[in-house]
Amino acid sequence: MNVSLNTIKQWIDFDLPPVDELVTRINAQLGGVEKIIDLRTQYQSARIVKVLTCQKHPNADKLSVCTVDVGEGTPIQVVCGAPNVHTDMWAVWLPPGSVVPSTYGTKDEFKLDAREIRGVMSYGMLAAGDELGINADHEGIMEIDEHDLPSTVKSIQAGQAFSEVFGLDDTVIVIENKMFTHRPDCFGQLGVVREISGILGYKFTSPDWYLQKPGTYPKPTNASIPLQAFNDVTDKAARFMAVGISNVTVSSSPLWLQCALVAMGSKPINNIVDATNYFMLITGQPTHAYDADIVQKNADGTKHDELAIGVRMALPGESITLLNGKTYKLDVSDIVIANHEQAIGLAGIMGGKDTQVSAKTNNIILECANFDMYTIRKSSMRHGLFTDAVTRFNKGQSPIQTNRVLFELLKNVIGLAGGVQASEISDIISDSLKNNVESDEYHYPVTLLPQFVHTRLGLSIKKYDMVQLLKNVEFTPCEDCGWNPEDTKDDRDDWHVSVPFWRTDIHDPEDIVEEVGRLYGFEKLPRELPERSIRPVAKNPRREMKMKIRSAFSDLGANEVLTYSFVHKDTFQKAEQDHTQAFQISNALSPELQYYRLTVLPSLLDKVYGNIKAGHDEFILFEIGKGHNKKYHAADDNGLPRELEFVDAVYASKKPREGSPYYQVRQLASQFCMNLGFTCQFKPITKELDYPVTAPFDQSRSALIETREGTFIGMIGELKQTVLRSFKLPIYTAAMTLDFEGIMKAHTTAKQLYLPLSRYPSVTQDISLKVPMGVRYAEIFEVVEHTLEIVAGDKQCRLLPLSIYQSSEDKTSKTITLRVTISDMHQTLTDQQVSRYIEAIAQKTHEQLGAIHS
Amino acid sequence: MDTITKTRLELLARFEVLETKADILKAPELKKLFAEIPKLPVDQRSAYGKAVNELHQELQQLVETNKQTSIVLPPIDVTAPFDINCPEPKILARTSASIHPLTQEIAIICDIFYRMGFTAEESREIDDQYHMFESLNFPKGHPARDDYDTFMTVETDGEGDPLTAPAHTSTMQNRILRKYRDTLMIDEAIAAIVPDRVFRNEDLDARHEHTFYQVEGVYVAKNVHAGMLIATLQTFLEAYYGKKLEVRVNPFYFPFTEPSFEFALSCPFCEGDEAICKVCSSEGWIELLGCGMIHPNVLRAAEIDPEIYTGFAFGCGVDRLVMMKYGIEDIRHLESAKLDFLKQF
Repeated sequence: MNVSLNTIKQWIDFDLPPVDELVTRINAQLGGVEKIIDLRTQYQSARIVKVLTCQKHPNADKLSVCTVDVGEGTPIQVVCGAPNVHTDMWAVWLPPGSVVPSTYGTKDEFKLDAREIRGVMSYGMLAAGDELGINADHEGIMEIDEHDLPSTVKSIQAGQAFSEVFGLDDTVIVIENKMFTHRPDCFGQLGVVREISGILGYKFTSPDWYLQKPGTYPKPTNASIPLQAFNDVTDKAARFMAVGISNVTVSSSPLWLQCALVAMGSKPINNIVDATNYFMLITGQPTHAYDADIVQKNADGTKHDELAIGVRMALPGESITLLNGKTYKLDVSDIVIANHEQAIGLAGIMGGKDTQVSAKTNNIILECANFDMYTIRKSSMRHGLFTDAVTRFNKGQSPIQTNRVLFELLKNVIGLAGGVQASEISDIISDSLKNNVESDEYHYPVTLLPQFVHTRLGLSIKKYDMVQLLKNVEFTPCEDCGWNPEDTKDDRDDWHVSVPFWRTDIHDPEDIVEEVGRLYGFEKLPRELPERSIRPVAKNPRREMKMKIRSAFSDLGANEVLTYSFVHKDTFQKAEQDHTQAFQISNALSPELQYYRLTVLPSLLDKVYGNIKAGHDEFILFEIGKGHNKKYHAADDNGLPRELEFVDAVYASKKPREGSPYYQVRQLASQFCMNLGFTCQFKPITKELDYPVTAPFDQSRSALIETREGTFIGMIGELKQTVLRSFKLPIYTAAMTLDFEGIMKAHTTAKQLYLPLSRYPSVTQDISLKVPMGVRYAEIFEVVEHTLEIVAGDKQCRLLPLSIYQSSEDKTSKTITLRVTISDMHQTLTDQQVSRYIEAIAQKTHEQLGAIHS
Repeated sequence: MDTITKTRLELLARFEVLETKADILKAPELKKLFAEIPKLPVDQRSAYGKAVNELHQELQQLVETNKQTSIVLPPIDVTAPFDINCPEPKILARTSASIHPLTQEIAIICDIFYRMGFTAEESREIDDQYHMFESLNFPKGHPARDDYDTFMTVETDGEGDPLTAPAHTSTMQNRILRKYRDTLMIDEAIAAIVPDRVFRNEDLDARHEHTFYQVEGVYVAKNVHAGMLIATLQTFLEAYYGKKLEVRVNPFYFPFTEPSFEFALSCPFCEGDEAICKVCSSEGWIELLGCGMIHPNVLRAAEIDPEIYTGFAFGCGVDRLVMMKYGIEDIRHLESAKLDFLKQF
């Protein structure tokens, strides 16, 4: 929102503080200032001058040589190429050394100098409208007439600063639009100047035409336009107003108006359109002007007997060409402005091209209406049209201001373009709004206890002060609702605060709290901490668990990474996961973010290659993250997709190491579980599994992990060769996908087992068992463990794998060597005793697994 | 023709060692052979062209076959602790480990808030529009929804609305208020933070990420006022930076708080003294977070009576805290999984 300080000064009778201070106050009490535009500097050199003489250039047909009074006594010589330059005209001169205003602040600033043009010296230039950055006119230089002057300026003299006469010695404060999402009034200069008055502590009074309830509607001078307004959708257009004006003269606006529009960030077009824009910029209420004769035309070019204009929904298949020249296919939920035959504007967004006011226009219709903000917003998004009108309508403009703005616009259009009111004023109001229009109030007064404000702000602000703060911005707070305004404690009675009609955002007592707090100054609020009991706060067990997991991985040399929750479809293909199980993003800006990931592991696999390229030869990446699955977990968490939490890791080594990489992650997983206080078992996958989790793994070289109690922990293993290739992974890569819930359960239910220390030395013996290749290590281990339990159950036994050996001659068997350490709590064990246990083991493993003790 | 034969042998040799086999089809030598065709005398063109095409097809075939033939490795004994004839695998040195700077920082933040009496919750990565918007006083079609560039899913919720990737941790407010509502009955405050992942549909650059972390704070009790919000945040930040700080609030707009503020702190890095401060651009202030008094409609949506209870909420970007702390120049590093980056923390 561009706020022109020169524009708003007309409505206040106090001096604004210096810009720095003003901006600080606006930031602190109204909304964030995005930037400050200094028009004064842009226009600092431009001077109003009078052309004294004007002769044809001796060496060029299209150039003139002029002498110009620049207010310094000696006339200055300027060569000018404009066809309209003539003696005695008032023009704008840019002296040598000045920057052409339209290029000011751009990359290609154009600095003028004194130079010879076809053999004649020219000092600076006489400027056209486009060079001044005011309008698009490049046909000729800007000529200043009497009617161009602002009403406060009676006459001009050569040498006067152009900016001072036309109000461009201005500072424009740009406030972020999102500050005003809830403030329809602040999209007009009036709304902002009211707030500025309020925060500076001055009472603001809106101009009468805006503030006072209009009396009787203006009558037509000559009812030559047969206006028939209609409103078929009063639920979408609470108010629709229109009026006809005949015999207007469309031309460019007087310069003062053009300059005012420029200062407010708009562009002059012609006097009619400029007037509609001007009133939008000062009130926030968009309006539109139509060429009445075109609106009244039938499709065959004949004239319809009446001029119908109104609001309806778009019809199926209807389309319209708008002012931007583009044609839009309309949707039946778009509100349109239409005549008797077709849509002539996309309501609240943009007018139609055909019915726009042009130089040929003689008769016009002015429209001023109120539309449903949500419908306008949807249409705007649907068609990708974001106009000044949308910005204002989608904040919810007050329907109480509609007639006020139209009346003032009508008066000003006639003042600018001549003509007479040529129809009654149509005003179609929805039934639900009629009472509000009658009472001239948008909301009922808000009722609250003064104490309500005190407790929410922590302030003991005097009621009298609150009343003044609110009155400054034209609220009407009840001043004597049975309480003493000087009193800070009295909370016996309700307080009624009448809300001005433009504040459609105020309905709750909390809204009044915000007003009072903001106008008073939030920086003055008492800063005190809430009181609390000494009850200890419960830490979040899931968060604590995740920290333990990080620490457990960290002890194993792993690196925690965070990767995106969304993946490209290709990632599923590479990991051989079924993408149809994934939730799909419908509006992602990038194809990298098409789907929610199913599991975390593919994201990790995707990050291995880059790290290897960067020179990291061996590493472990892990991530604690979420996956989602619409096939299995679409709505099983209170109607929402279950969030599956994974603890995934990948181990990769650029150079292969000894043995299969599986054993590297097995070691990692085993240690990881031990770090978290539980032991796990690795089970072969006997039947091929088909889940997103299992998809990337080579299942013949992978294992499922469980605790000894049977809690499922996850899966580890080597990856399919195709997966390795797709992700460009080194051969020596293996991975794990663990279930957070399982880890958490295993960790929280794990018992810390303590074995008392024996006073007697322990005895250690190794046992080597040769078994057929088909026998698994775990089978041997279990039999050994079980046997020891039977024969030495009262003693402490520890089993440790030492080696798994296979000779190069015999590939059908392997020899597993275990170290058995036994200690007795009550006596010194002898080797003979331990040897008996070893023999028992040899015998049992032979019987059950065909092991040969060597 | 000799060139073709020679090139063929070269390319076949290269194919064996290529990491990305399909790249063989992009070999410049192959392009060169094709480029020769139009330069040849007309009578030689046909034979030459055919030979080049055959070579091209042969290479294509090789690439295709390579794709299909996957080496099938034999099963292994997954119950064994190490491989046959191999020693026990070595664990990587602890010194090579790293914990992500964002999770480290979140742990620090949680620790301070725990000590201040706040518990910590987790957020979601898929949520419905009720929690993301409606329960936070954004009615359907509200223009404020546009300020949150929210990812939407093709899949819909029970009401037929698309699901969202939450654009703020405030998506958890309603759940937290409901979860801890009973503590109000025993005159204890609802006090919780939610540090977690959020998403905005934005283009990436050095300052913008579509995936980042926020920490949400919610505090509700009797007689909570706006001054307490400012004091609480100031206390947290002073604990976080370990020094006294100035703070200031500017009015702002959020549908779910009223009044709403933008909260800034005096730059803890330069303390306003240094002529060139990269963190605060020498302005002396850092706009850090959005906050405000919880809107009565938000309390009502959680069945808490706004006549009796009031509260405040805040939301702060964690990535920004981390970037300022270490002087990280590009936000994209955080989710890049680059070890060169991660190992510095």
